[in-house]
Amino acid sequence: MSFGAGFLRHPDLFPARRAGEPWGDRAVALDVAGGPYLLSGLAATQEEALRRRFGPLCGPVEGGGTASRVFRAPAADFLPIDTRGWEYTLDLDPAPDALRVAGLHLMARLGWTPALAGALWTPETAGEEWTSVCENYLRLLTAYRLLEQGGALLHSAGVTDGERAWLLLGRSGAGKTTASRLCLAAGGTVLSDDLNAVLFDEKEARLRKLPFTGDLGDRAGGPESVPLRAVLRLAQGTEEGLRPLSPAAALAGLVAAAPFVNRDPFRREALLAVLERLARAVPAWEVTFAREGRLWAILRSISIP
Amino acid sequence: MISITPATVLRRRSDVRYRRIEGEAVVLRQSAAEVLVLNEVGASVLDLADGESSVGEWIDALRDEYEGDSATLARDVLAFASELAEAGLLEPVAGKEEP
Repeated sequence: MSFGAGFLRHPDLFPARRAGEPWGDRAVALDVAGGPYLLSGLAATQEEALRRRFGPLCGPVEGGGTASRVFRAPAADFLPIDTRGWEYTLDLDPAPDALRVAGLHLMARLGWTPALAGALWTPETAGEEWTSVCENYLRLLTAYRLLEQGGALLHSAGVTDGERAWLLLGRSGAGKTTASRLCLAAGGTVLSDDLNAVLFDEKEARLRKLPFTGDLGDRAGGPESVPLRAVLRLAQGTEEGLRPLSPAAALAGLVAAAPFVNRDPFRREALLAVLERLARAVPAWEVTFAREGRLWAILRSISIP
Repeated sequence: MISITPATVLRRRSDVRYRRIEGEAVVLRQSAAEVLVLNEVGASVLDLADGESSVGEWIDALRDEYEGDSATLARDVLAFASELAEAGLLEPVAGKEEP
């Protein structure tokens, strides 16, 4: 299927530039890992919905950040989609200096001129429909921005005891939310059960909390950034335990868990470099856990070399 | 099925990216949903697939690196080359088959 054909009535009319008619003159700056991210061109209803959705992450717009403009798009430009039982995947069309994106009630374009900047076209103006469109766009933007900063966005559950964090890798259905619930019940803190950011500081790899969560919902409180102590590939089973993974197996798991950018041939070298650094820096294991088991105790038993 | 002989010359497809890490290799293809991990021999085969040397020359080169039975090594390399070609990681170079 050609780019956009699953979402757009006229994929051939996809905006050629980051331009259009803004919804309004409001703006929001989001203090999220890799950011801040500055969204402008917003209608008042869009700004209010974002402030409700992201709360204290909304900072002053004067500080700037990775810029995105939001533009109007007619609802008639988008195909009706029956979302029952549907697995949502953004349609991407990467190029050396740009990325086109089509999705549910959204078109977006990222460009490097040379700084990363974006544009979002949508017919949604308020409520969950709008915040859902915006969050899907932000997930994508965050993935690319983190990569620019030598980090990565990873499909994962991030759990911590406040001093060290464990990254549990897995796609949908792998058990991230189940594992998160087990850790929560045993006294751990969950940063997110769906998407987490990894960034390096001068000393080590650190897990950064993101406002993008799965079935577990928003995780208020807890630390914003914790040293990453292990990467774990999730496996469900009755014989609980740990099996060490080679750095290559860890790297393969990390690449598979890096959404969006792992489908972009123009950024794949950069992604491999970042994730190889992570695979070499942090020990990796396959952890087999049971639904009513002692996953949290297993994680805490991992000794750090 | 792609027929691979010692005379076949293969190269990595242009959309293949890989990283050697502690002997193994992690390989990505354009359709990045799949990420493969290759063992040391598989990783060496990827390294050698430069579109210039034949599979037979790879076997000669690897004979110095790996201990063990020479016939087994040759069989393994041919099998790996065939699997990697089937998987779309390697492609034959037209007109470069050695006599």
